Amino acid sequence: MLTFCALLAGCHSEHNRTGIVVLIESPPDSLDNRFALTTSGQRIAELISPGLVTFDEKSRPVPDLALDYQFLGPQTLEFTLRDHLTFHDGTPLTSEDVKATFDGLMDRALGSPKAGKLEPVDRIEAPGPSRVLFHLKRPYAPILGELVLPIVPRSRAFASAALAQDRAPIGAGPFRFSAQPDEEHIVLTPFEGYYGGKPRIRRLLIRTVRDETTRVLELLKGRADLVIGAVSPPIFPALHAGVRGDMRTDEPRLRILWEPGSAYAYLGLNSRSGPLSDLRIRRAICHALDVQPILKAKFRGLAQPATGMLPPGHWAYAETPGCRRDLALATKLLAEAGYSTAGGEREGLKEASPGRAKRTLHLTLKTSTDRFRKSIALVFQEQLAEAGIDVEIRSLEYGTFFNDVRKGNFELFSLVWSAGSVIEPDILRWVFSSANIPGPENAFAGLNRTGYRNGRLDALLDRATRVGQDERKVLYAQALALIDSDLPYIPLWHESSPAIVSWRLQDFEPSPQGYLRPLARAREAAP
Amino acid sequence: MRRLAGAPLAIAGSLILVSLFLNLVPGDPVEMMLGEQAPSVDREALRRSVGLDRPWYGQLWLFIRELATGNLRSSLPPFQRKILPQIWAALPNTLLLTFAAMAVAILIAIPLGVAAASRKGTAVDHAAMGIAVAGVALPRFWLGPMLIILFAIKLDWLPVSGADSPRNLILPSVTLGTALAAFLSRITRASMLDTLREEYVTVSRAKGLSPSAVLWKHAFRNALLPIITVLGLEFGALLGGAIVTEKVFAWPGMGTLLLTGIEKRDYNLVRAVVLVFTLSYVAINGLTDLVYTAVDPRVRRQ
Repeated sequence: MLTFCALLAGCHSEHNRTGIVVLIESPPDSLDNRFALTTSGQRIAELISPGLVTFDEKSRPVPDLALDYQFLGPQTLEFTLRDHLTFHDGTPLTSEDVKATFDGLMDRALGSPKAGKLEPVDRIEAPGPSRVLFHLKRPYAPILGELVLPIVPRSRAFASAALAQDRAPIGAGPFRFSAQPDEEHIVLTPFEGYYGGKPRIRRLLIRTVRDETTRVLELLKGRADLVIGAVSPPIFPALHAGVRGDMRTDEPRLRILWEPGSAYAYLGLNSRSGPLSDLRIRRAICHALDVQPILKAKFRGLAQPATGMLPPGHWAYAETPGCRRDLALATKLLAEAGYSTAGGEREGLKEASPGRAKRTLHLTLKTSTDRFRKSIALVFQEQLAEAGIDVEIRSLEYGTFFNDVRKGNFELFSLVWSAGSVIEPDILRWVFSSANIPGPENAFAGLNRTGYRNGRLDALLDRATRVGQDERKVLYAQALALIDSDLPYIPLWHESSPAIVSWRLQDFEPSPQGYLRPLARAREAAP
Repeated sequence: MRRLAGAPLAIAGSLILVSLFLNLVPGDPVEMMLGEQAPSVDREALRRSVGLDRPWYGQLWLFIRELATGNLRSSLPPFQRKILPQIWAALPNTLLLTFAAMAVAILIAIPLGVAAASRKGTAVDHAAMGIAVAGVALPRFWLGPMLIILFAIKLDWLPVSGADSPRNLILPSVTLGTALAAFLSRITRASMLDTLREEYVTVSRAKGLSPSAVLWKHAFRNALLPIITVLGLEFGALLGGAIVTEKVFAWPGMGTLLLTGIEKRDYNLVRAVVLVFTLSYVAINGLTDLVYTAVDPRVRRQ
């Protein structure tokens, strides 16, 4: 029966709850990070079962459960574990658990989709209770980045216990799994045995709310305390009612916290064939675009201009010249390539290449149906029209769109590499090396969807996987410069993952990657 | 009986159509899951593990076999969760929501329609039908947030979303019921106007019965049949509307399941939810027939 309690003011109980409520946009696929492929699954799993390393704000691998690590040789990596690590069930975490975890992962029977990441690992040795040695088949520097894989108790490391770990995961992380009453809710409680000390949050409820408007309304109502990256910039003005603060206490009820982000927005250009295989045209497009008004009006400062795939805060970042908006240069490049620039600056064009009949450049830009992304595409269309380039926008349902991108069925497309992808700089090899052009046999694995080929770049990126950190930095700087001058992608901006935090959650320090892990050090305000 | 015989046909048809459409829509569970990330994930092995390497009819056959053995699992690797428990959890929520919405619709529409019909051409009639037009015109994805802003944020009476208490049911059922109420009130008015013109109504008026007795006992009972027909037909639209409403209010029902299934391209989940929707549609049509016989003695005698 429906109670009409609703009509009586004062019978709401929202304001004296305990614990912190986190809203996510879709339910996690798994809480076991050996299997979780969705962002929500990975973020929650990291709270429960961390790995040997994690990434700092410069995307450098830093010790997590490990106390320290070092390369003993190009093919041997040594880890020392922290003292007195314990799992949520009270058993100590030793090097045997680490070895078992990775042996399990590399066993095909477990069926982890991430097993391939460990292909360069030959074997793992546990010479002492807190020492672990990774022996590699060949020098492979990016392996460090893969060791974020979670450490699980040895009893749960193999296929027979995979289901148990998926249903009620155990790890050595700051929060322990408590309950998952249904698909939409997950309850975590603080773990007193966490190496960083028991978190000061009494209870963590992670709730799935699929509708963006509803997430914002829950925040405004005061029934949610943290949303990371799941509210798009155009909606931010709606939050101002909450940000402006409570009239009585003068303290803002909601705060928007953010760090310069690492998610990378770009325009992909098909360099296989057609007009975009001509570098002059790619450059012309680059010079015709101006991202500043978009960053200001659409992102409200929550994105920073990009010069390449790696954000300025990244350890391997190197500055590249990039291309500023220069319509005169853009029209000149177009004219050189044999296209008319009727819409651009009119004088000077007639002399540019007299006697030759000029065509207008027509291009198709594919985007998803997301309204925000479509509105940005419209700005691009207008900017390119000023240079005389006629752009048709085709916005497609995400699956269709992504399928076209994967198959190389596009001229221009706009997409974003997620913050989680732009951590290990080896991503450059996956995206730009000619070995990774999707073909009939690896239509899915190849990420070089623009079909860009440059032998020198291939060699640089391959070499960068085999050398030490300092030399890698030099090689990646050269690679970034090459990519910048060849423009298989037009870099647009790096998007932040803003955290919207209620007054009840204090000391939350957001990470550029949008992790939930800072919750381990955050504090729950007294009611 | 003939209607019952049509049921298997409807079910088979819906399953085949859904499977065909799923096959036509680009993107698959593995690709949707991975999105723009994870270079070294073994995608082909993931695909094989959930039978995505088979043609659509092969996948449909697998679905039917798993369903028959009660062991239906999702198409999402690696832990293909069981689907039936998810459906058992979600179905009562959706039924609760649709019936509550129907109750809201009836409570609004019948008085409104009868009032409009009995005072045809007056200000009451115009006002009632004006409300009806507005109700049809308001989209649910707009009405829902507006109701939340008014009742949950500004007035602070009701929760925003979720399904933790009975109070959570109020806003979604009003959101879902409004459009039906608007449509139903127009049908009620039209049907009442028809019956009010009948001779037996004039006769009962002439007998000196009170206006309300004439209106409710004689005219309204006879006007009920078309109203029930429309209610039965509109149940399907209500289920469709429940998808949007459930999303807005984070209501853990079948619509939410269907959306999750479509977003993640969880083929088996989509098939299962569509199957349940088809079954409920068939069941409601049967139920409408039963209600006919209860309401109209003429149908009973045939």
